[in-house]
Amino acid sequence: MRNYDKITPDGTRDLLFDECTRRQELVERLTTQFANRGYHQIRTPALEFYDVFGSAAAHFPQESMYKLSDTQGRLMVLRPDCTIPIARLASTRLSGMSLPLRLYYCQHVYRVQHTMRGKPSEIYQTGVELIGAGNQRSDLEILELAATALAQIGDGFRIELCHIGYFKALIDSLKADESTKETIRQYIEQKNYAALTDLLDQFGESCPARALKYLPRLFGGEEVFERAYRLFDENGAHESLDNLHTLYSYLCQLGLKEKVLIDLGMVNQAEYYTGILFRGYFDGIGEPVLSGGRYDHLLEDFGQPLSATGFGIYVDSAVSLLSERPLKSPQILVFSEDDCLPQAVQQVRQFISQGMVVENCVFSTQEEAIQYAKKRGIQQLCHVSQQGIVLIEIPTDGRDN
Amino acid sequence: MNRPIRIALTKGRLEEKSVSMFEQLGYDCSSVRNKGRKLILPIPEANLEVVLAKAADVATYVENGVCDLGILGKDTILEMGGTFYEVADLGFGRCRFALAVPQGMDFYAGYHTRCIASKYVNVTKSVFERKNMDVKIVKIEGSVELAPILGLSDAIVDIVETGTTLRENGLMVAEYLTEVSARLIVNIASLKLHKAEIEPLINQIEAFINREGKRDGACKS
Repeated sequence: MRNYDKITPDGTRDLLFDECTRRQELVERLTTQFANRGYHQIRTPALEFYDVFGSAAAHFPQESMYKLSDTQGRLMVLRPDCTIPIARLASTRLSGMSLPLRLYYCQHVYRVQHTMRGKPSEIYQTGVELIGAGNQRSDLEILELAATALAQIGDGFRIELCHIGYFKALIDSLKADESTKETIRQYIEQKNYAALTDLLDQFGESCPARALKYLPRLFGGEEVFERAYRLFDENGAHESLDNLHTLYSYLCQLGLKEKVLIDLGMVNQAEYYTGILFRGYFDGIGEPVLSGGRYDHLLEDFGQPLSATGFGIYVDSAVSLLSERPLKSPQILVFSEDDCLPQAVQQVRQFISQGMVVENCVFSTQEEAIQYAKKRGIQQLCHVSQQGIVLIEIPTDGRDN
Repeated sequence: MNRPIRIALTKGRLEEKSVSMFEQLGYDCSSVRNKGRKLILPIPEANLEVVLAKAADVATYVENGVCDLGILGKDTILEMGGTFYEVADLGFGRCRFALAVPQGMDFYAGYHTRCIASKYVNVTKSVFERKNMDVKIVKIEGSVELAPILGLSDAIVDIVETGTTLRENGLMVAEYLTEVSARLIVNIASLKLHKAEIEPLINQIEAFINREGKRDGACKS
């Protein structure tokens, strides 16, 4: 039998040293922003019942979830997402609390990935959910927070912004069956101009067909609005555009004009999102680092019809933008003679209280201690004996670690 | 100057057509023509870089954003899946997926579980899923035509241009499946972050396809 006792499962990895610190520091910077705006942390179990993710609105494909069963044979999954468990929580234990709820999380999600694509299956996410508010004030709050969070990661970010209502107005006006509509949605999502045009040609020159053909090209800056207004104005399309345009102009007033792009063809998860949706990108990372939007129907599935909006950040993609730092050596090594062990520990405590990084020496001779200090790049040795303490400078020979 | 836009081209069947398309668009592809052993080939005056790779790797490089654009066959896209924009059908490299069987055989006769050999196992799987048929699928890397001849499989699923290879090996097309051709794909983040550079290039290529389409009339296969 083969023993898999020296490797980690596909899509998982061990995080070492600075990888942990960089992640932790970034998460702290992000969650400080969340907490400063009145968001409170929650943590949900990594294991949830399958049914939590099995509802229509949650629509998580079953092949993307890791499954187990509990002692009673009930099907469980490793959570593939953080928002849906929060919807469960908001509709149950938090249902008595005054609204809106402002929640944030930092925890792993687990997704079965295609093998050998280099995609992680254990993904660390942090994000926020604003539950129980359906107006533009809450949209703006979340968008501003998303931009602030991205700015904590780095300067070179862009946010793309969409309102799914425009697409829904178009597709609802098209006289076609559901499966054709879904194919159209997929072609728009993939910006598959050719296939989209071919498919829509059968609808002739009808207004929604013409607009749908053009939809994947409706991305860019301010100019997108003018074209979108002219293209289609039935079925609530203008209301969605008005809403989006107002938010866009607010963001411009906040100095984010250069950072925000409009893409009305961003129609992924059209069933899930109900209003604005947005993603954050950085140059050099081929996929979104942040993703979010308004999902007003999700909580209904759990028996609480509440509006909600939020976003999640793929922390490890973000961390990959921060440069790796060399391992830091302690500033001082405390070595003691055999008869002074408690005094040495006292000494360690004292250095720490002075704000230093100290290591306790586990070797029994001073010679070994000095050799060790040289190897680790520790520049000072504190020698503790009955005669008291002596500080010795260790000459560095350039070798580290 | 901004970093160059990097485009991955598929080596082999689609290479010549892709390069000549860029030449006809006015790009100086001499570094690509005389590539030698170099792997990244610059077109400096257009601030472009060309990478030549196997089709499946083109999809991988573009999906992960290390190349901004790519040209590869729809057959590979169907087989591999992946998240990227598929912005243009380039019209060349046209062929069809087909189910082929030994000449004279009725694929659907009888009730035994069919064995299908293919290089495109995912495409094959989805074809028979749509037919609600349970089949045994065997992955073959090289000449798939050998599998039914040697008696390993009842049929094959492969891309067919003229059908000559099939005929020469005593096989015939039982059913044409989907049409495939060369596609232009773009990384999702690149299109958003480098719209100013990438969009004009897409428009240029689209205009080229339209001109070519008019000149050639209907597709040749």
